[in-house]
Amino acid sequence: MNTSSNAAQPVHIDRVRKTFGEFVAVREFTLDIAAGEFVTFLGPSGCGKSTTLKMLSGLLPQDSGEIRFGDRRIDMLPPNKRNVGLVFQNYALFPHMSVAENIAFGLRMRGWSRADKEKRVAELLQLVRLEGLGNRKPEQLSGGQQQRVAVARALAFNPDLVLLDEPLSNLDAKLREQVRLDLRDIQRRANQTTVFVTHDQVEALVMSDRIVLMNKGGVEQVGSPYDLYATPATEFGARFVGANNLLAAKLDKSSGNAQALIGAETRLPISTCAAGVDKDGMDIWYCIRPEHIAIRSAKEDGLFAARVRDKIYQGTTVLVDLDVYGLGAIRAERPALEVGDLPMDAQVGIQIERSHAVAQAGE
Amino acid sequence: MSATTRPRITPSVFFGRAALIVYLVIMLLWLTFPVVLVLLASFQGTLEVSFPGEFNLDAYKTIPPAYWEAFWFTIRAALLATAIAIVVAIPAAWAMVRGKLAGRRAMSNLVLIPDVVPQLILGIALLTVFIPLRLSNSFIGVMLALVALSLSTGLRFTEALLEGLPEEYEQAAQSLGADKLTTFRLVVLPLIAPGVAIAALFIFMQNLITFELLFFISGPSATPIAIRLFSDIIDRGVLPYAVAMAGILVYVAIAFYTLVAVSLGPKYMAGSVMSRKG
Repeated sequence: MNTSSNAAQPVHIDRVRKTFGEFVAVREFTLDIAAGEFVTFLGPSGCGKSTTLKMLSGLLPQDSGEIRFGDRRIDMLPPNKRNVGLVFQNYALFPHMSVAENIAFGLRMRGWSRADKEKRVAELLQLVRLEGLGNRKPEQLSGGQQQRVAVARALAFNPDLVLLDEPLSNLDAKLREQVRLDLRDIQRRANQTTVFVTHDQVEALVMSDRIVLMNKGGVEQVGSPYDLYATPATEFGARFVGANNLLAAKLDKSSGNAQALIGAETRLPISTCAAGVDKDGMDIWYCIRPEHIAIRSAKEDGLFAARVRDKIYQGTTVLVDLDVYGLGAIRAERPALEVGDLPMDAQVGIQIERSHAVAQAGE
Repeated sequence: MSATTRPRITPSVFFGRAALIVYLVIMLLWLTFPVVLVLLASFQGTLEVSFPGEFNLDAYKTIPPAYWEAFWFTIRAALLATAIAIVVAIPAAWAMVRGKLAGRRAMSNLVLIPDVVPQLILGIALLTVFIPLRLSNSFIGVMLALVALSLSTGLRFTEALLEGLPEEYEQAAQSLGADKLTTFRLVVLPLIAPGVAIAALFIFMQNLITFELLFFISGPSATPIAIRLFSDIIDRGVLPYAVAMAGILVYVAIAFYTLVAVSLGPKYMAGSVMSRKG
């Protein structure tokens, strides 16, 4: 048996739907995942991301729609026939088996010979950097090590798709940052098509090739981490991914260029507009990332006058809460070196370096 | 605060602790007194234990063959009933806990009826069923009566064990390619095995000393030891060998407890079997 075949497969999800009674958990979810791609389902709890993952794994039957791995339709198959590697939030390592037995479980189910199993287990222990720990019991490993065993177990049998269900949420903050990169690295080297589920937008931004942003059972936006952060498609996306200042405004196209009209007469240029922000006079949110607000001297011309209301020191950066005349409360984030000596109640001038507009929900 | 500082012992703390110790000692004496008395009595051949007295094995030597017959009859019936109950209870509990069957609550409560209905009533009911089937006064009849009791205890134990086992283990096994039966064999069973062993121990003990229920089912050709002891004591008073046989039942109980404890290790015996997770 070829133990090192490249199993990367494209995955096609076509109008998959799931309801629980009246409640629509997932509505017409459609997505094509390229072979070897790392896709993250991101959203708050109850958005349908875990339900979608369960339908991919077969632990939950879908109401309608189709799932295919390559040319193989798998949505009618039970979990044990799908060839999907699953990593659970609490890892679910079998406590009565050694690390090696855990990793070999999927191979054992596929009738691999003893020699092939041993070779493959050794490969995986090396991949997740746990050489020499094969004979340990899971309880003898740290949380981070257990997590890597769970990943190795899910990769061992060359699954068509690997599913990771919030696998980092049981790790402490410091370890989580390390494991994020480890996991990304392992996934790249194994070249496995992977779906990762998380509610943590930083995890999603750091790890993914593409992010599927979900809310209330529907897909809000699909795009690269950069797309999601720089040009959110919806109000939900603008609020959920990263910190953002959202100012209520009306779209003003009277001058030819898109401008945001805030209040009666404040007009601000818009750097980028989400799709659908096109009708003159429509209600929009004028979005400014905190790091795109420059704080200057109050004496400079062409700036908005503002007063420093509060400063929150964060180490590398400082969050500066500002009362901006004509715009209201706005939060800026600047390098600590730049604004460290800014006194409270100081009068400053601010400049908006970049902005984005999305339609208000319901428009 | 440094770790070496000891809390100051105030008079109220002192008296509180003293009271707790006295309470524990009284409780332990209360619990072990009858057992210790029976064991002492079995070496003196009479319930009136005297100190200093003569301790010997005379009472044990005079145990009549009918007693040994009843003893082995009880051991066989108790073991077989325990085995049947466990073998039936585990898959049934699995189906009830994981199968998400409709009316599951009602069903698992129904099975508990033998545990809550007084055995007296159960005995009469079983007798009315057993007589036409010619099962009363037979080994099979006694054994089936014990199965009815054992099954409800067994189900209660195994249901609790499976409820405490996170479903992710089974889901993980299935995602790795195991069908339901393989999952059960390789994952579920090994994980609940220690709990099942403890359940079996409790059930066996319960079977060993069941009296009321068997009082109705038993007869001259099917006499459990508890019934034999009772009727002898009623007829002839407390005889030395009856006390000796009571002592033997205590040894059996201790032996089985030790067997389970040694094979599982102390961590399972100390806490409740219900609290054990995966």
